Order: sequence, then structure tokens, then C-alpha cells
Amino acid sequence: MKKTIYIFNDGQLKRKGNTLYFETEENSKYLPVEDIGEILVFGEVTLNKKFLEFVSQKEIIIHYFSHYGYYMGSFYPREHLNSGFIILKQAENYLNAEKRIFLARQFVRGAARNIRQVLKYYNNRIGGLTETIENVSELTGMLADCDDVSKLMALEGNIRDYYYKQFDKITNNPDFKFEERTRRPPKNHINTLISFGNSIMYTIVLSEIYKTHLDPRIGYLHTTNFRKFSLNLDIAEIFKPILIDRVIFSLLAKKMITVADFEEFANGIMMKERAKKIFLQELDTKLKTTIKHKSIGRQVSYRRIIRLELYKLEKHLMGEVEYEPFVAQW
Amino acid sequence: MYRDEVKVGGTLIWYYYVCKREVWLMAHQITPDQDDTNVVLGRFFAEQSYNRNKKEVAFGHMKFDIVKKGKDGLVVGEVKKSSKFRESARMQLAYYLLELHINGIKAKGELLFPREKRKEIIELNEDLIIKLKNAEKEILQIIHSPVPPDAKKINFCNKCAYAELCWA
Repeated sequence: MKKTIYIFNDGQLKRKGNTLYFETEENSKYLPVEDIGEILVFGEVTLNKKFLEFVSQKEIIIHYFSHYGYYMGSFYPREHLNSGFIILKQAENYLNAEKRIFLARQFVRGAARNIRQVLKYYNNRIGGLTETIENVSELTGMLADCDDVSKLMALEGNIRDYYYKQFDKITNNPDFKFEERTRRPPKNHINTLISFGNSIMYTIVLSEIYKTHLDPRIGYLHTTNFRKFSLNLDIAEIFKPILIDRVIFSLLAKKMITVADFEEFANGIMMKERAKKIFLQELDTKLKTTIKHKSIGRQVSYRRIIRLELYKLEKHLMGEVEYEPFVAQW
Repeated sequence: MYRDEVKVGGTLIWYYYVCKREVWLMAHQITPDQDDTNVVLGRFFAEQSYNRNKKEVAFGHMKFDIVKKGKDGLVVGEVKKSSKFRESARMQLAYYLLELHINGIKAKGELLFPREKRKEIIELNEDLIIKLKNAEKEILQIIHSPVPPDAKKINFCNKCAYAELCWA
């Protein structure tokens, strides 16, 4: 599998001969181009058109993050996999209200079921979450009758409220009290971790979408018209609880990140570089973890499972197999 | 997909003799996983082998790996990674020969397996022509179906870059 390159230092990204080169004031480094799947830029980086042309030709996506760790945007090279058929099907499934709500509902259902799995796991370990699990299950059951995307969003919000209320019990760390979900900017440490993790999740899914025939601009739960990419937000919903939240819980349990890794700015809290690096390393390890996939009969990584999710969506759009979201088994 | 826009082409003939589902997917430009090891290897071999001859010569909608002048007429070569799917490869090349024949060009085919250092000569005959015509007809039926043929587990699935799409 191709690597993800994370750049924290300030410097210049260049094409040098037939490969990539990153130059900082102190040192410089070759980045073997054939081995790179995507580049995540956190530092202050300059680059030129020659560089962009080259990464475009090599089908490498570049995701940019602001100084505060917010996702800013992506250099999404021209599409290299084109299937007019899939695009038409994707649009058809968006424009037809019934078809759209079906997919939107499945994404929320996937998210809710994975939230439930996370809660069940911690209920086995620490107990006391049975009532929340029941509440989540009950709300998940109500999804079937939900025939409106904004109502679906609201229902998902309610499910997450129940879920987030248990974060303090799960983390059991007074330094990381949840209080309430805050973003832009997040107002405490755990919200900062969630926001950072979620935005990384969006870029990972976007990178995987780039490797399929799907168009990231057409989402179903997240409305297509008003933003650049939305399909990645839809798919990310399913994986956030089992990848991002789990990474956060394990980082805090192992005390790999502490309050000393944060600093205040304006009216929010941001992660210091060390914390971002540790987070990304832990997530990278998680994404590389493999599980045995029954019907494929091969070991597949979590990263690959994201791709498989997109393949399942393609098959749904083709009218082949109805889409069922991935639900973790443990 | 519209009937008059579809050209069967040699690639679809090849897939037809391996997996009918693949025919449908290919015809709908749903290309296989480009990161798959075998796909990467195939690309590499196409770039590295038989460098001295002219390569990738387009004729109409056909693309030949190799075109050279033989003793009596043209020789078109098709490069394959292995001879495991020899039947498919044979039919693909035979299809090219038929297309050339229809256009009044006399040619022979050479099937090349560089890794096995082997080649095989293919010549068009009446039997092959009938077989190809039937295959062509069935391929058109497959690709005009609104959904792809169901996935079936065959030997080829092990190494197929579509496997994850089919079995996800």
C-alpha cells in the first residue's frame, strides 16, 4: 500500500528529476514518488506549478491543514478514472428523493451501529452503559420511518448526544471532560481531538474516493449543492466511531497525549505539533491493522475497508446489490 | 450505453473467455483497482518488454502491442504476462486478425509470453471466424444488460483486480 506523507516543517516542495523533494532551511529530503499515495500538509509549504503537474500525473492528492489543525482544502488532481455510467447513476440516486433518502439513512444507520459497537465494547470493560446502548438502539430503530434528510441529521445528532454523554465515563480522565460538543473552534481538549480526528477522516475517505469511479461532490446525507466535497463526509460518518473515537480513547488511556500537548488560542484550544504527530501515528497504525474479510477471503486493512465501502456503494448505484453499511464486529 | 457507440474490441473478447462479468464492468468503464499488484506489474511489463520494436500501434479502435513486417504480410504481436489464459489470448489476437482481414489487410498473429520466453503463431481460419462472431454477439448482449452478470467465484478471482469490487 502506498504511503501517506505528513509534512509539519516549513519548506519547499519541489519536483526534482523524476521524484519529489522537500527542502527546509536545515535539511532536505527525497520523497520517492511511486511510493506516495497522498500528502498531508500541516506546515507552511510553498510549491510551484511544475510540482503540481507532477503530482497530478502521479495521481497524488495533497490535503492542506491550517496552523490550527483545521482542514483547509485539497489539491484533487484531475479525475483519472472516468465512468460516465457511474456518474449518471450517482446523480440519479441523488435527484430521486426516495433513492437519496435510502442511502442517507444507510449512512446514519452505519454510524449508529458502529457507535453502538463502541459502547458495547466499553460496557464490557467498565459497565454502566446499558441504558445508553438501549437509547441508541431505539433511535436507530426510528431511522426506518425517517423520510427526510434534515430529520435524519437531527436523529443522528440525538444519537451522538447520548454517545458523547458517556465519553467522560469511557475516558475517566478529569483533564479531558467532554461537557458539550463544540467546534470552530473547539473549546476544550477532547473536542479538539475529535475535530482534528474527524477532519483527517474526511481526507482519508476523499483519497479513497479518488481511487474509485465515484464523484466526491455528490453526497446523499450531506447536501451536494453547497460545498465542494460531500460524499467523503457521508462515508466518514460510518468510520468515525470505530477509527477516530477509538484512537482518542486509546491515546488518553495510555496517557500518550496530556493537557500539556494543547494550547489556547483566540477563544479555543489547539493541539501542539507533538500531539498531532502522535495522533496521526496511532491512526496510521489503526488503518494498517488487518482483519479477515469473509467473502473476499483475504486479510484486509481498515484503510481497505473504507475502499470496500465505496465499492459497495458503486454496486448499489449499478443496481446490483443493495448497500449495507460496514459494522465492526467487536 | 448505446448500441452504435459500442465496439466490441479485442480486450472484451479476452475478458469474455475469462469472466463475463468483467466484460460488463469494462464496457461501462468501471476499470479495476489500479493499485492491484498484478495491474501494476502488467503496466510495468508493457513498458519494459520488447522495447526495440514499435509498440502500441493504433488501428481504428484496436491497439497492437507490436507491429512488424513478416515474410508474407504484417505480423501483429500481443504481449501477455503468462500463458495461463492462453485461450483468451488466442481469441483476442484472432479477433484483431479478423478486423484487419475485414479491412483488407493480410496479417498473422504472434502471441508473446516474454517471461516464459515463448511465442505462438495464430492464423485466421473459418472455425475461428464463426467462434468470434458468436462471441461478439454474446458480448453485445452482456453489455446491453442493465446490470452486470452476477459475481461467480472462479480460479481467476484470486488474482483479479476486480475481486474486491465483486466480493465487498
